[in-house]
Amino acid sequence: MAAVTATTAGETTIREPGPLQRAGITLAHVLSHPLGAIGFVLVVLIVATALFAPWIAPYSPTAISVKERLADPSLSHLLGTDQLGRDLFSRVIVGTRTAMTVALTALSVSIAIALPLGLIAGYGPRWLDAIMILVFDSVSSLPMIMLGLAVVVLLGPGVSTVILVIVLYSVPSYARLVRTQTLSLKTRDFIKAEQVMNAGTPRILFRHLLPNVIGPLVILACLDISTVITLEAGLSFLGLGVKPQIPSWGNILSDGFAVIRNSAVPVIAGGAPLILATVGFTFFGEALRDALDPKLNPERKP
Amino acid sequence: MNAISMNRRHFLAGAAAGAAALALRPGLSYAVEGDTLIVRGASDIEVLDPAFQNGLLEEEIGRCLFVSLNRLDDVREGVRWQPYAASELKQKSPTEIEFTLHDWLVWSGDFGPVTAEDVKFSFERVANPDNASPWAYAFDALKEVEVTGDRSGIIRLKAPSAPFWVTTLPYYMGHIVCKKAVEAAGGKFTTEAPATAGPYVIEKWVPNQSLTLALNPAWKGEPPTFPKVQFQIVTDDDAAALAYESRALDYTKISLNTLATYKDTLPEKTQLIQMDGNRFSWLAINVNNPKFKDEKVRRAIQYAIDVSQIMEGSYSGLAAPATGVVPPALVGHREAILYPADAEKAQALFAEAGVSDLTVELSAQNDKTSQLTCQIVQALLGAVGITVDIKTYDDAIYWTLGDKSAGDTWQTLEIVLMNFAGGVDPSENLTWFRPSQIGIYNWSQFDSPEFEKLYQDGMAETDQEKRGGIYRRMQDLMEESGGFVFITHETFAAVAREGLKPCILADGYLDMTRFTKA
Repeated sequence: MAAVTATTAGETTIREPGPLQRAGITLAHVLSHPLGAIGFVLVVLIVATALFAPWIAPYSPTAISVKERLADPSLSHLLGTDQLGRDLFSRVIVGTRTAMTVALTALSVSIAIALPLGLIAGYGPRWLDAIMILVFDSVSSLPMIMLGLAVVVLLGPGVSTVILVIVLYSVPSYARLVRTQTLSLKTRDFIKAEQVMNAGTPRILFRHLLPNVIGPLVILACLDISTVITLEAGLSFLGLGVKPQIPSWGNILSDGFAVIRNSAVPVIAGGAPLILATVGFTFFGEALRDALDPKLNPERKP
Repeated sequence: MNAISMNRRHFLAGAAAGAAALALRPGLSYAVEGDTLIVRGASDIEVLDPAFQNGLLEEEIGRCLFVSLNRLDDVREGVRWQPYAASELKQKSPTEIEFTLHDWLVWSGDFGPVTAEDVKFSFERVANPDNASPWAYAFDALKEVEVTGDRSGIIRLKAPSAPFWVTTLPYYMGHIVCKKAVEAAGGKFTTEAPATAGPYVIEKWVPNQSLTLALNPAWKGEPPTFPKVQFQIVTDDDAAALAYESRALDYTKISLNTLATYKDTLPEKTQLIQMDGNRFSWLAINVNNPKFKDEKVRRAIQYAIDVSQIMEGSYSGLAAPATGVVPPALVGHREAILYPADAEKAQALFAEAGVSDLTVELSAQNDKTSQLTCQIVQALLGAVGITVDIKTYDDAIYWTLGDKSAGDTWQTLEIVLMNFAGGVDPSENLTWFRPSQIGIYNWSQFDSPEFEKLYQDGMAETDQEKRGGIYRRMQDLMEESGGFVFITHETFAAVAREGLKPCILADGYLDMTRFTKA
């Protein structure tokens, strides 16, 4: 949405809103829809919990006290304790940080790799595009969980392995999106003008194309956060994700499942934040997409 | 075409009818009072050939299809055996075992009577290194089988072997197969036995679902109580407990977590079976790794680990700390370990060794019990200043870690959480720590000539008291090396319907031919 300003001479000029103003407009649009508002609140809550986890958690999430194992929820242990006597509330809180660290790191790395690959595929020669598309499609055709299991078996479980699995899974689809955007943009007049003025390929790619393709990519990544969090939890649940002592929602679920006959609290404690995070990031991502997509948001038509 | 309408009432009515049909279906109803015994199979079958089978369900099915010269009794009654396919089985001399087969034993498929030639073929086939049977080690002591008549023969040993009677003859490697039939089948077989002579035959096999056995009409020996036995294949312990609770099984092994729950609330008309298991677990410390070259460091680790905490946290307080690899029920069991937990001694030894900021890698399988144990070990070693990096592996990778034929990892291993299935004789539990097993299953790289000599002495010794002393000394040597922290002999737990008398063997597997009604 552009701001219209009246001048003293009676002329009108159109002034583009600044980045902050644009963010404000987008946020207002997200909050104007109930699901978007719910998503936003959940996302803020999750991100804040991840940021301030060490101050919120009342106990060390890894401190073992076997004598206090499987304690019921109480004032001293809000969600009770797990099989090794660790405070479940503290593990859930610090698990939020694990989930966000894995998700944000993996998606940032994916974007950083996919952007140049997609730009080169879309702007480069046809033969290079064909080879890169073949590689992207080949990797994408592998079932995600099978790919994850294969990588984990080869490298052993751990945070870095989980991140690698997510990067391998995400890069082809992100690079494909960037390529499609690039193919569409490279025939536009402003790119042709640059070419006529003999602008170098790096300048065209990174100065003109990149700013125009990064927006949709970030929205896609935002929508993928919930998938990535679920993938990390799934691998950890199977004992193939982050190491067992590291608090993660998947580990909490896995530990809880083993003692579900004694108490359902650990399973709920691991499952509930996973559901909330999935719902939150999905609602927020969809609202963000609606707000930024001119086809879905008539107010943003140019 | 009319659309099928389904409202809530239809759904409830349908569900009730379905549940009733399921409950009344003969195969899945409560069966102990009937003719069909339904038990859990922990895996499907792949190879029924006794020379090449993998264990689990194959071992239990094999015991129903084939016969052995002798057979073991329920382990809860002690390690005892009685003749089975043999009408007579006796020690003629320290290296000779004389046998005569029952005259009523016949092969299915017109292959005639079971003969001494079949016994010779069966044993020598497993023992022959050219056949690469994984169970050849069990026949290390075998020299030859001499056939003295159609149904009689003499088993000759290279040297006296007390374990041969209980670790070789009654187990799957000692099952007798039909020479003519196996040779006609090309020398080996997988899921279709060319001829059987045991009390049951396979009636129906639905891969990955169930396997049903029916009585062998040609069987003239002691008849099994149940004319039909059905194995429902359920790989997960907890899922099996749920199947038992829904009355789809009459007997199943259960996990320790389920055991803890059942100790509080037992399903109705159920008997709970709990006994010392024969699977033993321990921490293997690679004595050749530069981090553990100093014996003081290894000893400090032994002192630092309080196994009682592992029993509480990983085994729900339902298992007892091990004093070695020989369980309490066997000769050679030790009463106590040499280096009980003492954090102060551990710290003093580390200080003496001049070790600070030590980081060690602890490798384990990725099952829940192993993960919990690793975390407790991590906390206990952390308390004395050692940082532990836990690495868990899928089974397929894990079992290659200490295997020298799978790369160089075996040389750089640090600490590994291990567990093996034990046997009915202490030699079966100790054989893995001989020098020849370094780079195979001896992941501590414990290399003791004295241990090897004692092992050979123990195999030849027939006096049980003397054997006990030998095996206790062997475990002392293991512990003194600093390469071992013994954890537990895992508790065995199972549930059975009231009125059912299971027959459980020393390795936890079942002899279905001797399940009876109490």
